[in-house]
Amino acid sequence: MKHEIEVRQMMKSFGKKTALNGVDFHVQQGEIFGLLGPSGSGKTTMVKILTSQLLHTSGSVQVFGTDVSKLRDSSQMKRIGILTDNSGLYDRLTVYENLELFCKLYDVDVKRIDEVLEEVNLIQDKKTVVSKLSKGMKQRITLVRALLHKPELLFLDEPTSALDPANKKQIHTSLRKLNESGTTIFLSTHDMEEAESLCQRLAFLHDGKIVALDQPHNLRVKYGDSTINLVLRNGSRIQIKQNEAGAQSVAQYITSGELMSIHSNEPTLGDIFIQLTGRSLQ
Amino acid sequence: MTFSIQRVSAIIVKDVKDLFKNSYMILITILFPLGMAALLSDSDSDDVSMLGMPISMALVITGAFVQATMMAEEKEKNTLRALLLSPATRMEIILGKSLLSSIITILVVIGSILISKIQIPEFFYFTIMIVLSIIIFISFGTIIGLVSRTVMETSIVGLPLLVIFAYGTIISSALDNPVVSTIVSYLPTESLSSALLELGQNGGFSEIKWHLLNILLWAIGSLVLAVIVYGRRRFDK
Repeated sequence: MKHEIEVRQMMKSFGKKTALNGVDFHVQQGEIFGLLGPSGSGKTTMVKILTSQLLHTSGSVQVFGTDVSKLRDSSQMKRIGILTDNSGLYDRLTVYENLELFCKLYDVDVKRIDEVLEEVNLIQDKKTVVSKLSKGMKQRITLVRALLHKPELLFLDEPTSALDPANKKQIHTSLRKLNESGTTIFLSTHDMEEAESLCQRLAFLHDGKIVALDQPHNLRVKYGDSTINLVLRNGSRIQIKQNEAGAQSVAQYITSGELMSIHSNEPTLGDIFIQLTGRSLQ
Repeated sequence: MTFSIQRVSAIIVKDVKDLFKNSYMILITILFPLGMAALLSDSDSDDVSMLGMPISMALVITGAFVQATMMAEEKEKNTLRALLLSPATRMEIILGKSLLSSIITILVVIGSILISKIQIPEFFYFTIMIVLSIIIFISFGTIIGLVSRTVMETSIVGLPLLVIFAYGTIISSALDNPVVSTIVSYLPTESLSSALLELGQNGGFSEIKWHLLNILLWAIGSLVLAVIVYGRRRFDK
């Protein structure tokens, strides 16, 4: 599988402070890759390096198979989309006027505006001045702006921070649809539910280092305690180990009709993060 | 490096739309120099050097401050970041943003000349000096806009520029200090006024060449400084 992003032994320092230290990972074409970590872990620095807003101090960073410094070229920038939580819009202009500018910058037909606005249910606000939109609507417009040119690779830095659940869900639906159409997505977030619901692979970033990287399910299995929780009809709760003796006990409870519910004891991504780093994601 | 006229014009068109929805800025920056030219017209003076004052005002207030406000607002609202992360190159962005300020300044300079009813001698040299002066003040405006964290801050950061460049002669006369007078005489606005005086007295290239050179050096220096600041501060908030 082709790698859209390849980072090898990358380090970034700001003076004496090391923000990212020996980071290694790759992002495969067509996947949604998540970078999960608390505030200050180095996520935004990582996105800035991957989008050529910052230079890394050492190591190798490749996007589309070439050094990230080449990304500044207009033809390469047309292949990527970027959405951050502080992506700005022109407040005095309408939604259409904002998007029209970026259609021209990306050499995209303005007819695409209606198409993308329909996707995020904002077509009725096409002529609304941006200053009159809610924060959630503005965030959806910045997403629309990042999608206008159908990017091959989309960078999202905290795309749904401070959004209500309904808006968040709508953005997630749009992102999944985009990914299904072939766009590779690099998502940086501190929201474990978002990471779990969207990402096919996840990296945990802590103090500038990747402390774990795998599929969300594999992470839960790896860091889980291999037990099963049973709730019996008499109200008692039993924890059973996943081994031969445990299997026999479960079978006994089922055949005797005592079993009411059964759940595997998988940890949440937040639990795993605490287990690995000793601190929470918030 | 690629260059796209389409992208530059898209940025200009956006800025025009944005500026017309921000009418107070147009009014303030345009009315000052035009008002000054109207006062000059009332005085019935035909001294071309008098035109230096409204032109300096047009360059400082219209040129530098329109540019500074536009740059600071793009930075404050994180829209400059969005432009920089698009296929538009740094050159296309700064050119797109500077052309509109330049056009407005040129229109205000023309308006000042028409309102003051003063005849321009040696139109060729006059045009060269105005073009170089526009480069100087658009560069200063870019620097002020990038250094300021907010639009409001441009007034504070830019105030010394307004005072020194627009009122250099008045400061020099008021202080009556030879060192200050010498420093003020090297200001581009002073060179422009002095050159206009020479041209008004039937002077030619040999009379204005040092003023022209001074303005040219200011234009090169300010442009280089603006490029350096733009390179370093473009992504800062």
